[in-house]
Amino acid sequence: MSPELIRIIIEATVDTLHMVLVAGGLGTLFGLPLGVFLATSKRGELFPAPALNTALGVVVNITRSTPFIILVVAIVPFTRLIAGTSIGTAAAIVPLTVAATPFIARIVEGAIREVDQGLVEAARAMGATPLQIVRKVLVPEALPAIVLGLTLAAVSLLGFSAMVGAVGGGGLGDLGIRYGYQRFMPEVMAIVVAVLVILVQSVQTFGDALARRLNKRLRHA
Amino acid sequence: MTAAVALSSASLDGATKLASAPQDARREEAAITLAGVGKTYAARDGAAEVSALQDIHLAVPRGRILGVIGPSGAGKSTLIRLVNGLERPTRGRIALFGRDVTALDESGWRRERRRIGMIFQHFNLLSSRSAFDNIALPLEIAGVSRAEIETRVTKLLELVGLTDKRLRYPAELSGGQKQRVGIARALATEPAILLCDEATSALDPETTRSILQLLKRINRELGVTILLITHEIPVIKEICDEVAVIEDGRIIEAGPVFDVLTRPAHATTARFVEGVTSVELPAHLRAALRSEPLPASLAVLRIGFAGPHAATPVISRLSTTLGLDINILAGRIDAIGEQPFGSLIVAAPGDIAALGATLAALHVLGLRVEQLGFIAVAPATPARSPCEEVSDVA
Ligand SMILES: Nc1ncnc2c1ncn2[C@@H]1O[C@H](COP(=O)(O)OP(=O)(O)OP(=O)(O)O)[C@@H](O)[C@H]1O
Ligand SMILES: [Mg+2]
Repeated sequence: MSPELIRIIIEATVDTLHMVLVAGGLGTLFGLPLGVFLATSKRGELFPAPALNTALGVVVNITRSTPFIILVVAIVPFTRLIAGTSIGTAAAIVPLTVAATPFIARIVEGAIREVDQGLVEAARAMGATPLQIVRKVLVPEALPAIVLGLTLAAVSLLGFSAMVGAVGGGGLGDLGIRYGYQRFMPEVMAIVVAVLVILVQSVQTFGDALARRLNKRLRHA
Repeated sequence: MTAAVALSSASLDGATKLASAPQDARREEAAITLAGVGKTYAARDGAAEVSALQDIHLAVPRGRILGVIGPSGAGKSTLIRLVNGLERPTRGRIALFGRDVTALDESGWRRERRRIGMIFQHFNLLSSRSAFDNIALPLEIAGVSRAEIETRVTKLLELVGLTDKRLRYPAELSGGQKQRVGIARALATEPAILLCDEATSALDPETTRSILQLLKRINRELGVTILLITHEIPVIKEICDEVAVIEDGRIIEAGPVFDVLTRPAHATTARFVEGVTSVELPAHLRAALRSEPLPASLAVLRIGFAGPHAATPVISRLSTTLGLDINILAGRIDAIGEQPFGSLIVAAPGDIAALGATLAALHVLGLRVEQLGFIAVAPATPARSPCEEVSDVA
């Protein structure tokens, strides 16, 4: 394999990681509060706002049910507005974030709804404000489940990031399409797949280990 | 109503016991007062509305332990949750240390709740926090400094005997230890009132006893007023000063524990008390029991003792003064607080004259007597020592 090719593969890997990390980070930044809100804003909950809850739920569902490749195309004007362009790594981050946010929000919502209501009751009995309940009870208690969910989100993002390659997004997917498919270099395709497998495997292993560390429900030896 | 533990009309007996002059003073002193409180859960999603509590009058005197007992669904949890504003009453007024809190808004209640600790049947500890950090939680919420938290939590761990479990997570603690953490957490903000919702229902009898002893110590040493709810009479008997019996959302009987347990006025109370304060005829004698006297049968009587009589040698006095031959078949003598009480089942001569004399003598002594029936003179297993049947002797 030529050093040139190795350089290109490393570059593409860095691009992919860049997209996944930034989109994952932004997705968490938006998805976490959105998920917390979805989990706490029905009638009789901490921040009751049933109408807004339903409205956001619908938006989240629409985004979640749109196939990613269609989402990418559909939001091109929005991507241009944010990134100034609609091709390249920076531009790819926009649709990736748009896809990651509702995904993460649903994960966070589910994790928070799993928290024992008795803990909320106990915190209320201590005189905690709704915000304190979120910060000191709901999020810490849901954290192991949230970490597992974020791991799942990161793995999905790796897949999505390969897809944006098809529409000029850069990264490993782009490399696979251009070299592996269009120039018919099967060894490049094989390497791209191998790198993706290694990335997914590492992310999953790391996420599992972190969640296990955080989960104090298990008796540690 | 002026009674400290004032009740709905059902308990005339309790009301007269309590309606003496010092009660007015005690009422002002009451830590918790509920006056005419009702709670109706609104209908929702097709479910009909539920009237959980009606016309509740209850006062928990400062520094005492009041237990509320009742069957499942009676409204016990609703009642206790009204006291720290987790539920709002639909009728009536609630006062804490004489201050009306009925109309407090949520932020007012948040401040109030820092003076009210609460412990739960399932402990409700955060699994993500160590024992230390669980106890620290209410202090963090109240904005107490790190240094202050360190000293206070260390003292609390010592108080509940968990100094060595400081850094353990709930998953690494036993049920009793978890409840001790729960108690320490409830006491962290130095509350004047402690609410216990079935705090020992998930624990085995021995652990229950140790938790109850801890609660009693907290009450006596720290002067914390305790309102606890339970469905177990032994909990009431062990640590409560006063008791209220609740059924179908109404308090049906209330008063000092000794009075209510030894002289239950209501059938539900009697059912709760049964087996804890009274004694049953052994099975082999119960089988031989008949309702009509035979020519030379013995009358079987259950005698209830309460207060000073429990200690006096009633039986021997009957034998010596009346020359009657009285045989103990089963019995139990116990105490609530310092006051002894007990129940004996005896066989006395069954002919009309002797029985009349026996009943009269017992009546004079102020004892409660219940006639269970008659047995033939020589019971099937007369050799069996009655002592074997004596259980739980104080
Ligand atoms: N949030 C609620 N909404 C509607 N109904 C309720 C609610 N909470 C309690 N109830 C009803 O009020 C009644 C009293 O309930 P509560 O929980 O106070 O009983 P309890 O005496 O504590 O019973 P248990 O011993 O089983 O805990 C029940 O009929 C219950 O179904
Ligand atoms: Mg209950």
